[in-house]
Amino acid sequence: MTHPANDLHLIKKDHLTGLLRKLMKTHRLVAPVRNRHGDVLFTAIHDLDAVSFELTEPPQNSLKEFFLPQEEVLYTYKVTGKTGYSFQPSSVEVPATVYFGAHPCDISSLLYMDVIFTRNRRDPFYLRRRRGSLIIGINCNQPAENCFCNATGSGPFLELGSDLQLTDLDDRFLVEAGRAGGRAVIAEWPAFFSPAGEKEQALRYQAFLEARGGFQRQVPIEQAIRRLREGTVPDEIWAELSLRCQDCGGCAYLCPTCTCFTITDRPLAQESGERIRAWDACTFAGFTAMAGGHNPVPSGEALRQRFTHKFRDDVKVNGRPGCVGCGRCVGACFGGSDVIRFAKQVTEERGKGAGHD
Amino acid sequence: MQEIIVENSQIRTFVLTFCEPEENVAFSPQPGQFVMVSLPHCGEAPISVSSPPTRPGTIHLSVRKAGKLTNAMHELKPGDPVNLRGPYGRSFPMEELPEKNLFFVAGGIGLAPLRAVINHCLDSGKPPRSITVLYGSRTPSDIAFKNDLQLWQNLGVNCFLTVDAAEPGWHGPVGLVTGLLEGLNPDLSRSMALVCGPPQMFKAVLSRLTALGFGDEQILTTMERHMKCGVGLCRHCHMDGKLACMDGPVFYLSELRGLKLTELDR
Repeated sequence: MTHPANDLHLIKKDHLTGLLRKLMKTHRLVAPVRNRHGDVLFTAIHDLDAVSFELTEPPQNSLKEFFLPQEEVLYTYKVTGKTGYSFQPSSVEVPATVYFGAHPCDISSLLYMDVIFTRNRRDPFYLRRRRGSLIIGINCNQPAENCFCNATGSGPFLELGSDLQLTDLDDRFLVEAGRAGGRAVIAEWPAFFSPAGEKEQALRYQAFLEARGGFQRQVPIEQAIRRLREGTVPDEIWAELSLRCQDCGGCAYLCPTCTCFTITDRPLAQESGERIRAWDACTFAGFTAMAGGHNPVPSGEALRQRFTHKFRDDVKVNGRPGCVGCGRCVGACFGGSDVIRFAKQVTEERGKGAGHD
Repeated sequence: MQEIIVENSQIRTFVLTFCEPEENVAFSPQPGQFVMVSLPHCGEAPISVSSPPTRPGTIHLSVRKAGKLTNAMHELKPGDPVNLRGPYGRSFPMEELPEKNLFFVAGGIGLAPLRAVINHCLDSGKPPRSITVLYGSRTPSDIAFKNDLQLWQNLGVNCFLTVDAAEPGWHGPVGLVTGLLEGLNPDLSRSMALVCGPPQMFKAVLSRLTALGFGDEQILTTMERHMKCGVGLCRHCHMDGKLACMDGPVFYLSELRGLKLTELDR
């Protein structure tokens, strides 16, 4: 399972903090830590000694907010005369950042966002955050309750996408240097690393096999993709899912690959203001409503868009679904119209009941 | 803003020219393309360009009052600046139109994008065989683009108007624009229909055109959608797997068949 091009190294767990301390001289550090409320969140860390990392339990937030903030000022503007308008790109200094402890699902979603924000045109606001990023990922030895990255082809282990990819081998991490950024870290701080051998590769493979067997849910994503491609999903299933959806947008906000946004002007004074980009969700009733009130997407159709975009249209365009199996939306959905229910319902024989296992 | 043409109580055509004259040459939207227009504190809205590139120097935007931005546009006076970005989207396949009998079918503001096509055809060295404009309005006083219709008529374009509800003095037909299609006997081997209007009209016109024998490749339309970015990212303009801003807004009907769209009643 090891990518032949990856350099293989080891780092003792005791040495990890030391390495991060070195990297923090030139980088901001973002890593998953448990806060005083008990929540695990990717957090910008200022004092390494004041936090302890949580590398097993998936963080509640994804890395999305660090690259596509929930709200971002794109431009500031000045009004000159009656309707003159002059724009100045917002001058946000984004520090070079190490993202440590990202799971394969979150790294996969970052790769997805790279495609979205560079395919048609290079989005300068995304790229200014993405450019100085160094990703240190960690493979998942223990999938969590709602995880199904095995079904979306984005985990539990990852072989590309991060700069350094760690696998927990008890007292040390196996370190794969997948990208130039990772190899540069090892070259700059060789004292922290030692070479890995066949024994560690075997341990990694063992850990992978155990992780692969550790999923608590079997989610039929491939079959759901096929059903959507064939166009054989009955209208009643969409209607039922839509009926359950409470239009809260929680799924889209937590989703690491939901990148739809809105743009608005926020006046700050008579003569000045900001042009804002903010998260939006295709499930919101007003998402497609036009000025004057006509909405080409009837209520009850919005969830269809959410799932057909991820599992039909993205597969068609990118060759893989726009879902990384992180399961965040499953935990957030109180209506019962989440992705697992969707996948089960569209793949079950008609007439049978549907639901969570 | 150079000039404002009041088309009716709801629609105005804004004639714009760039503050920097060299932009007038560089900026050349093709018929069917749109621009994102903005005014201070109002955000942006997609507006189709209603003038053809064959008439450089000015950009025409025909705008119906519908929301915050368009309401603010209707307050504009000549000389006021307007912000544009674009042009965006796929244009009408102008190279297909010479030598064809063209049927333009529009309702209300739907004539705006087709106006660019019609004027382009009239300016072209390779003109179509014939041009027929079928235009539906709510009432006679709602009929927009009256100057254009008169001018087109003078240039040999067959213009037929209908209204949903007559007013004193109206002697023309009353009823849906589909009624104007009834008398047609087009040479189907070389005809194209270009349709733009509200969804209900669109549906009715499509079924009428299909009944007349128009194939799905002979029907072109341009779709109206909510948009925020215009460049394929924000996805507000999604159309069952296609994006109006990138894949459209101009489509052959054949490209829309099978999609779940309110305009097609699926």
